Amino acid sequence: MNRPLLEVDNLVIEFETDRGTIRAVDGISFCVGASETLGLVGESGCGKSVTALALLGLIPSPPGRVAAGSIRLDGRELTGLSEARMRKVRGKDIAMIFQEPMSALNPVFTIASQMTRVIRRHQGLSRRQARAAAVEMLALTGIAAPLRLIDDYPHQLSGGMRQRVMIAMAMSCEPKLLIADEPTTALDVTTQAQVLEQILALQSSFNTAVILITHDLGVVAETCSRALVMYCGRLAEEGTVESLFAHPRHPYTAGLLESIPALQASRNRHLPTIAGAVPDLAELPPGCLFADRCPSARSLCREEHPRLITSGRDGRVACHFPVQSREAYRAALVQWES
Amino acid sequence: METLQYTLRKLITGLPLLFGVTLISFALMVYFGPDLTYELVGKNPTQEQIERVQSELGYDQNFLVRYLDYVREIVTLDFGQSFSTGEPVADLLARTVPVSLALTLPGFILGNLLGILLAQIAAWNRSGWLDKLIMGGAVVGMSISFLVVIIAAQVIFSSSYGLNWFPVRGWSVYSLADYLYHVAVPTLALVFVSLGYNTRFYRAVFVEEMSRDHIRTARAYGTPPIPLMLRDVLKNSLIPIITRIMFSIPMIIVSGSLLIESYFGIPGVGKATFDAITTGDQPVLKAVVSLTAVLFVLVLIINDILYKWVDPRVSLK
Repeated sequence: MNRPLLEVDNLVIEFETDRGTIRAVDGISFCVGASETLGLVGESGCGKSVTALALLGLIPSPPGRVAAGSIRLDGRELTGLSEARMRKVRGKDIAMIFQEPMSALNPVFTIASQMTRVIRRHQGLSRRQARAAAVEMLALTGIAAPLRLIDDYPHQLSGGMRQRVMIAMAMSCEPKLLIADEPTTALDVTTQAQVLEQILALQSSFNTAVILITHDLGVVAETCSRALVMYCGRLAEEGTVESLFAHPRHPYTAGLLESIPALQASRNRHLPTIAGAVPDLAELPPGCLFADRCPSARSLCREEHPRLITSGRDGRVACHFPVQSREAYRAALVQWES
Repeated sequence: METLQYTLRKLITGLPLLFGVTLISFALMVYFGPDLTYELVGKNPTQEQIERVQSELGYDQNFLVRYLDYVREIVTLDFGQSFSTGEPVADLLARTVPVSLALTLPGFILGNLLGILLAQIAAWNRSGWLDKLIMGGAVVGMSISFLVVIIAAQVIFSSSYGLNWFPVRGWSVYSLADYLYHVAVPTLALVFVSLGYNTRFYRAVFVEEMSRDHIRTARAYGTPPIPLMLRDVLKNSLIPIITRIMFSIPMIIVSGSLLIESYFGIPGVGKATFDAITTGDQPVLKAVVSLTAVLFVLVLIINDILYKWVDPRVSLK
């Protein structure tokens, strides 16, 4: 197997708060191959976005810091890189698309001004060349008349258009890795699909690897080849999308899949949810962090933190008692609830 | 065109403001201000003499007539002559306002520019030692009274106890060298007292702006610190900055320099206003009050036009 593009090894991110040091990300490891699409799934606050910011060296510090671990891009270590060198990586090797197209662009500069600045910084083009490159990139993101909107300000565009501009800006320097942090969450459903398709189309023409951060399992199913499920800053499960959806091994993954509303199910069916709430990161229990919400938790789960074990061909799961099948999970859930 | 329409509309809606300000201040002057009659009539006046002086001063007419007279003066910009010196009020203002402006503008501009610069450094190094140093200095600057600052500056720079480099009183300005010679110490004092407030205010604005999503985007695309602070952060912070600066302008033109003018014996408009208040020199007061009100209306309009200029989302409709 070729060497992966991105290797993250035992990444630990800590934040200093009034209530002591909090581990937002606790020892996660994963790889992204060249031109692969990896899904990063989990609920709000599980450490997805913090992980993404860490890849760019943008953890707000203080209060945050990368306490341990290594991030290698093309074999080059990024942690501990100087701020000046890291700036050459940002936007050039790794580009990021943010969730809120409303606020992620600078309101007082035109689209042209914001895009050409990035292009000129990383590619050393002249003003005129950079503008031409920006127009070309906007056209590639499916904007019909780029010349008409390039001199507009962000507030003059719709949410979908702004997100396309964001994608154009991200792809303008042909990054090796694109991080898309909930790129479609703030858009309406019809635009969501178009924007996702656009990202995938550009990915294949530029051979870019994509990390797609989302809490929408449907999006993962449609776009990704592999996915990581995060819970409370730790990796719960990793696997190919097919195996994750057909045979979830971690009860959290199984719970997430159960709580997707099905179109065919009767209207009166009770929609399963995952009971309880995410534990307080400042006062973590000693054992498995999911134990209090898990239908198949036993006493061992509350005492010892489960290690990641390989499961299946190339999956991993952090659970003492992995789920055998979705039916078995459903049965355990019914029993646990009663 | 939009701007012109807006200006005209605002000028018209500014009229009630002018009316209110002049009415209230005129009522205060008439009913609570000093009565000049007995200072002008001399010793042992007859009833006739008293009445003649009162009619010269216009005291015998009813309030409405006197107020309308004031309005006419504002419209024609003719405020008559000073009761104390007999100098036409227009001449008095033409003589004192430029002096005050020349005196306070360098300190005002420097105080704001340095404040912005220090605030940018502090905001960039937020909660680092440089930030703590700058903010600590700002608190010290804010805590020292203007009077103490003026006196200390005079002792250090303008007296034989200190360096004795600059004059302690007077304003005999005939060349640029004269100007710099006289304006240096007052400017130093003005910068010292305003810098703390300015730095704290601007730092708060910058810190807030730096937490915005688009600043995170700019950083995620490799924007270096200086362009980030001077372009992305500063341009987005200009609305509160412009507001603060614009609303200080009427103050520095009319009254902000009073203490400096008194302590350095400089014949500016602040000193002239203060004298007019204490002696009941109504023509001067009326002129200054209406000038202030007009300045505020103008500042409001210019302020909004500047908003539109710095932020494309602002509409003047």
